[in-house]
Amino acid sequence: MRFNIKQVNCGSERIGSLTGFIKSSKTIIETPTAALLTQGCSVVHLTAEVLAKVFPDTQLLWLPLSNSVQLENGVKAQGEGVAKFAGLPKHVICATLYNINEIVPPGHFELGKLPLWTKNGKKMITADKYMDLMETFKPDIILAASDGRISLNEKPKRIVKSVERTMALLDSCINKYKASEELQQSSLVGVIVAANIPHKCEECIRHILKYKETLVGVALAGLTDGSKESYEVSLDKLKEIFSRVGGSLPNDLLRIVEGSWNPAVIVTAIEHGWDVFDGSYPIKLTNKGHALSLNFDVYRYSGDPCIMDLNDIRYNEDFKPILEGCECLTCKKHTRAYIRHLLNTREMLASVLLSIHNLHHFNEFFVQARLHISASTFNIYKKHIITQYENINPKLDNEEDKTAPTLVQDKKKIKVRIGDNVKTEVNGTIIK
Amino acid sequence: MKGLLPEQLENLDCEIILGNTYHLGNRPGTDVLEKAGGLHKFMGWNRALLTDSGGFQMVSLLQLAEITEEGVKFKSPYDGSETMLTPERSIEIQNSIGADIIMQLDDVVQTTNQNYERNKEASERTSRWLDRCLKAHKRPTEQSIFPIVQGLLNNTLREQSAKEHMTKDVNGFAIGGLSGGEAKDDFWPMVSLSTGILDKNKPRYLMGVGVAIDLVVCVALGVDMFDCVFPTRTARFGCALVNKGQLSLKQKKYETDLNPIDKDCTCSTCLNYTRAYLHSIVTVETVSCHLLSVHNIAYQMRLMRTMRENIENGTFPAFVQQFVNEVYPNGQYPTWVVNSLSSVGINLCHL
Repeated sequence: MRFNIKQVNCGSERIGSLTGFIKSSKTIIETPTAALLTQGCSVVHLTAEVLAKVFPDTQLLWLPLSNSVQLENGVKAQGEGVAKFAGLPKHVICATLYNINEIVPPGHFELGKLPLWTKNGKKMITADKYMDLMETFKPDIILAASDGRISLNEKPKRIVKSVERTMALLDSCINKYKASEELQQSSLVGVIVAANIPHKCEECIRHILKYKETLVGVALAGLTDGSKESYEVSLDKLKEIFSRVGGSLPNDLLRIVEGSWNPAVIVTAIEHGWDVFDGSYPIKLTNKGHALSLNFDVYRYSGDPCIMDLNDIRYNEDFKPILEGCECLTCKKHTRAYIRHLLNTREMLASVLLSIHNLHHFNEFFVQARLHISASTFNIYKKHIITQYENINPKLDNEEDKTAPTLVQDKKKIKVRIGDNVKTEVNGTIIK
Repeated sequence: MKGLLPEQLENLDCEIILGNTYHLGNRPGTDVLEKAGGLHKFMGWNRALLTDSGGFQMVSLLQLAEITEEGVKFKSPYDGSETMLTPERSIEIQNSIGADIIMQLDDVVQTTNQNYERNKEASERTSRWLDRCLKAHKRPTEQSIFPIVQGLLNNTLREQSAKEHMTKDVNGFAIGGLSGGEAKDDFWPMVSLSTGILDKNKPRYLMGVGVAIDLVVCVALGVDMFDCVFPTRTARFGCALVNKGQLSLKQKKYETDLNPIDKDCTCSTCLNYTRAYLHSIVTVETVSCHLLSVHNIAYQMRLMRTMRENIENGTFPAFVQQFVNEVYPNGQYPTWVVNSLSSVGINLCHL
């Protein structure tokens, strides 16, 4: 896979494209863009048939190993990689170790091993095992194993440890990568941690850049651990990080940001040259019954909030679509009142309809971003989006995703509802 | 339908789906439905709808129901408040919902209830309630009321109920009070008795049936329409329907089975997914519910279509023989299957 930059503006925002995928040489993924979150290698709530109605073209998918490791035996038996196994053969897969937005018990590290919190409990995994799984899964892009599920508020001692671990894990991943022709069909990405301790962060970056010839890009982790508090960090602080880290990197590397960041944070990152984003934010909204409704007309101020809580009774008899003029299937055929009714009666169709809208709309947000970069008006677009986030009720934005299937809490028994099934989990191990 | 878009149902050739009056009357309620212009518009479904009267909830929510001549008093499980469902109120709600076919409110008794007096009371009351429903119906040119034959497993009561209903000017009939757990040997004669009396030129709808073998036998006995939660409910428990029964995809043996659920099935699930993949996500990801629901509905639709084709071609008996062999490959056909089919001239040959 190759990353090509098509245009860079005077801010550092840039349009690029990912091409040259082994499985589909004609596919082009334009950046900046987001990768769609998958669980079990299916886009959350959407079957292949429904996904094709939202996105007729090839998409970039985000595959955390933590929610897909159970596919191993099946993928191995079929021998054609995880995308084919999951009924999505033409889509491009970016694999990573875990979903950084799931809340898991802290710690549990052993020498050379990381904890992987799956639906079947905790699995300890080495970098070697991770790369073996990647060899079976055959994703197009692999993020090296890392210790990046850490918030910016974390203690320095922990952060320093994460740098040591991440560097060692990268060394192991690179060794496995270089020794395997199979793995070299995928592209490898190095992971940056410790963003808010500048000298440690630079150490981490220098280490990654030693392997510049082998890597296609870098991913910025260590910004969040999935908790509400970690997302309450100020936009200014994030801006400083995106700018400083982005500035330390050569321009030709693909730049990925991990974490369920909202559009205001994303435009800030894009401005400093970041290209690919983890697409879990729209799913987080869906799981809470919220719809994203940004206004893209930079010349019109809209007082409407950019997030709608469709659980609210005020939508009970509101027969308008979620967003007038939105071209998604949900807005063309269904109303706010109907979705509210489905949420109220806890029907699965609510999640399907909301996912369709939120994923479509989130994608539109990137389409618009690319248009503005092309037209050199990105600065205006950025301010327009940030303003909309300044005006919303913070409660709508930062709540934790309580419906994430592998949500676990240390030593506490919690019930998680998935469809009609209720499971009980303790410390990540399902006991019922 | 749980988790499926109206578009997906259209692609599966679904022509008619069922809504429940008791639940829809509570949420979203008649106000919202009327303002939306009826259930078709509210949910975005342009084909046919059928609503059941709320009667079945008398049985399923029995702890919460008190039945009198006036109607059924329900206690809400959510907040303990009481609602009275009378024949008039049921039809009123169904008029608001706007389904194409609506059901009378009937006095429903547990099929396993042995009490003759209660059965007689329910069967006769159903006829009286039918009259009240017909009188209360405000949209007779747009919505067809179907009477429901009751009488449980009693020949006389059931015959009486069916004959009484035949005196009314309606567009179709329903057969109720069956598929509630009674023995199959008792079930089929009641179906046969009912179809024997009800008008052969109008649709006969057997409520609450069923699994594949039940459907095939009852079609042989002259039933035209059915409804059942089984396909989508079993999908949510990770089971896929095939002719010989169900595949419980949670089982470890499917972990590396790269076949589709059914190689003869052309639904989107079978065309794109393997049993192995479904096994890996079943009961964990909502996508698995959707995929299995699509397949199971496709299965039901294909079964009914196959039966229609065979009936039109005059090959129905041969089809039944072949189907029964698939369901019971060891040749041990249950007596109820043999007897019911032979009662209409389909004599099964053992392999």
